[in-house]
Amino acid sequence: MSDRFLETLSHLRVYALDKPCEIAIFYHEEASALMRFANSAVSLNTTEHLIRLEITAFYGPRRASYEMITDLSEPAELRDGIDIAAEMVKHVQPLTYTPTVPEFRESFCDEAAYDPALAELSGADKLAVFNAATTGLETEAIQLSGIFSNGANTIAQITTRSPHTQVFRTSDAQVTMVLAHSNKKWEVQAEQSAQQLLDLDPQALREELGFLVERFTHDPAQQLPLGRYDIVFGPAATATLISFMNWIAVNGGMMKRGYACLDEAQIGEQVLSPEFTLADDPNRRETYPQRRDYMGLPRTPFPFFEEGIFKGFAWTQDDADEFGAEPTGHTVAHKSLSLSGGGEDVGTLRALAFVPRDGDLLYIPFLHYMNVVNPTQSLVTGSSRFGALLLKRDGSIVTPYNVRLTQRILDIFGDRLAWLSQQTVPYNTSSSYGARNPTAVIVPRFMRVNDLSISHSNPTF
Amino acid sequence: MLDQIKAHLDRLRASGATYVDCRWVPSEDANALTMWNGNLKQAASSRQSGVGIRVLFQGAWGFSAASDLSDLGIVFDRALENARIAAERVTFPVRLAEKDSVQDTFISPCAVDPFEVPLAEKVAFLELLDASLNQRGVQQRMSTLDFIRKQVHFADSEGSEIGKQIIEVFAHIGVRGVDPEGTAHERTFRLGRRGATRGWESLDLDHFRENAERIVSELNQVLQAETCPVDDRSVILLPGIMFLQTHETIGHPLELDRILGYELAFAGGSFVTLQDFGELRYGSERLTARADATLPNSPGSFGYDDDGVPAEDNLLIDRGILVGAITGRQMVEEANAKAQRIIFPESSGANRATAFYRVPIERMTNINIDPGCDGTLDDIVARTERGIILDGDRSWSIGSNREQFHFACEIGWLVEDGRVIDVVKNATYKDDTLRFWNALSAVGDASTWEVVYVENCGKGQPNQVMQLGHGIPVCRFDDVRIGE
Ligand SMILES: [Zn+2]
Repeated sequence: MSDRFLETLSHLRVYALDKPCEIAIFYHEEASALMRFANSAVSLNTTEHLIRLEITAFYGPRRASYEMITDLSEPAELRDGIDIAAEMVKHVQPLTYTPTVPEFRESFCDEAAYDPALAELSGADKLAVFNAATTGLETEAIQLSGIFSNGANTIAQITTRSPHTQVFRTSDAQVTMVLAHSNKKWEVQAEQSAQQLLDLDPQALREELGFLVERFTHDPAQQLPLGRYDIVFGPAATATLISFMNWIAVNGGMMKRGYACLDEAQIGEQVLSPEFTLADDPNRRETYPQRRDYMGLPRTPFPFFEEGIFKGFAWTQDDADEFGAEPTGHTVAHKSLSLSGGGEDVGTLRALAFVPRDGDLLYIPFLHYMNVVNPTQSLVTGSSRFGALLLKRDGSIVTPYNVRLTQRILDIFGDRLAWLSQQTVPYNTSSSYGARNPTAVIVPRFMRVNDLSISHSNPTF
Repeated sequence: MLDQIKAHLDRLRASGATYVDCRWVPSEDANALTMWNGNLKQAASSRQSGVGIRVLFQGAWGFSAASDLSDLGIVFDRALENARIAAERVTFPVRLAEKDSVQDTFISPCAVDPFEVPLAEKVAFLELLDASLNQRGVQQRMSTLDFIRKQVHFADSEGSEIGKQIIEVFAHIGVRGVDPEGTAHERTFRLGRRGATRGWESLDLDHFRENAERIVSELNQVLQAETCPVDDRSVILLPGIMFLQTHETIGHPLELDRILGYELAFAGGSFVTLQDFGELRYGSERLTARADATLPNSPGSFGYDDDGVPAEDNLLIDRGILVGAITGRQMVEEANAKAQRIIFPESSGANRATAFYRVPIERMTNINIDPGCDGTLDDIVARTERGIILDGDRSWSIGSNREQFHFACEIGWLVEDGRVIDVVKNATYKDDTLRFWNALSAVGDASTWEVVYVENCGKGQPNQVMQLGHGIPVCRFDDVRIGE
């Protein structure tokens, strides 16, 4: 690794030591590449190399920050950033609490989740993965869309409290492939999340897409009657629901601000199904983990739910400072959420489709545009998308038009949860707004939830 | 710098590129302040600078961006190299609609540059906003101020050179409380267009205080209210939710890249097809909608888009019939070729990028609905038998082809026999997009028409956030399912 940025950070720290306030410097470097496909062509091929420097100034109960997207070859501009943050902090209003300044007692460097072969994958290599995964599936009418996003992230920190640094480096890739019928408007999808090159498996993508295209080409399509269904969710849908849990259930700050469905009195109580065990597990490399948080706290597996019993909230340092809680090592850009597998041995879509069943099962792989209707009630709404299947009791399969679900998450993961697959997969939930922040959630391959009602059913694809 | 850029544009053209453009952003400044229950939780400033290069080679796009400008040639070369790889899989070679070569500048209307206002003054303003919200029934109070100032130089291989300086001010206040059953509710107010400029001067404390009084009073009414019934009623949408209805079910489905399948892997498609232009009855006769980037003083008015095409006032829906879309140079050519007729004579100038490091895509400008002839809000209520007035965007969820939607609102007022009777909480409504717009039964006059600013419309992969506006009147729609 080039040490140029560490030298720069050290020089900036020395400069900052002359300021009357304390300074924390957060360096973020991303090399991002994205190949986007539409209408069976490469519609865009991009590369971005960006360096961000965020400087936070602390002065007792006052705090202010200044961020630059910048260039390391301009040291004067970087020093200006420190001057600006140090000037800003003089003029802000004091908080009602004193924010903790990050302090690193030793230098820490974690590159375990970095694979240069994945980070530097060429455009030609990415095109080859797409070509391999879609061989024989595209036609004049069935067209390919998707993205192949890959890149590397380097985060480094230093503060005026010590000369020690923290460095985190990860590589990541997100592959999304969609085959859509241009006239009939159905669409199916296969996705993969990778932390290292070996995680990419074009054959598995080909297998899933091939199976779905076969179904949507030959099986009858149908508008589903409104009513109650036993639903099997795929990894994308389950990961979305878990991400909403992270937002409105286990976040201590959100709870204190009145935007949560659990409260402190519920710690230690059975609030969800005994099948439900959710942790933040920084030992899972597929989640691009950070094994220290940005305050320097070591991160170890942190249980949120054990067999349905609520174990406690995640507290960032700032929320802990404000609300008098103990920080839990969650001052990070993303957690490493992992929902444990259950007892059902169903590892592929083909296996799910042909498993004997006692009634109709609605398979929903993906929930589109989910939003929180009412956080206290954990009420969310979203629509099915990308290759839902109605697996009929008699073994036949129908391809249903999209439907809307408006449900309480605490019901979905509570009484209604029937089973989880033994097999788990990482699902990539990275958003590409702002700085690159690769994120993945580990979820069971399938999750069955009984007796959920459909509130809207489309009359066509 | 501009001379260097022009030399590289020429060099890439000589290397076989059919089109090249460069957006150089010498500086984009932002300043975000958030106060929560009296605590200044966020006092953040930022500055970014860099270049984004777009190259068309053998019908395929390549793009490259960098914040490090020490070797500009490398950034240009990388964009060309990316286009060469993309050219290995082309199905419809990209062509760009004709445009005039332009040398011009655009400056957004602003009297007092918010970046010249001392931080202490901004913090003092937030403290006053926070104090105005600190009243009975309120458990959480939020105030935010967001300022953006960007300088962009655009140059392309067709000879255009455009400079832009844009300043945006967004402000927002909100309150939360808890009802007797323990459920949290929220009431918010966002600053819309007032006057001819939108600099620091647009933050009028009295205007915020009036709205703070109103949202606190409305929150307290919601906290005591019954739950919205499940029912089929006329819904009367006030600007605080009408802007979002317009945004999600007219704006997004009429982005031409969506219609052509360019967002299928993520954001979704559109129920609209190319055959629908000129034919589809999108809404009732009362509905006339336009993408008007010439509307004075709005984030959706930016002089020239990032293709270098001038702002236009473009009709989308004419008395209920679909006639236009939100377009850029590439998509109009492809749509006309695929439809085998000229639907779009030229780009409507709506291709925009959020930052130097993102590629321009079709974005909303000001997606507006013309005021109608059904009078004031009171007139509309007086002529409503069984209805509900709705305001505030609590949640929004839309089908992947924008064919159906579910919205939750902050507050509802039930209407019976032309009179407002009760406030209700947990108000929601849902419908099919086309049925809903065809059920448009009243459009308020100019007295009900407001321009709402949107600071955070998300779209695209990689994701981009965009600023825009909606000029909308109060509207009524019949037989809509509420309360689910
Ligand atoms: Zn939007």
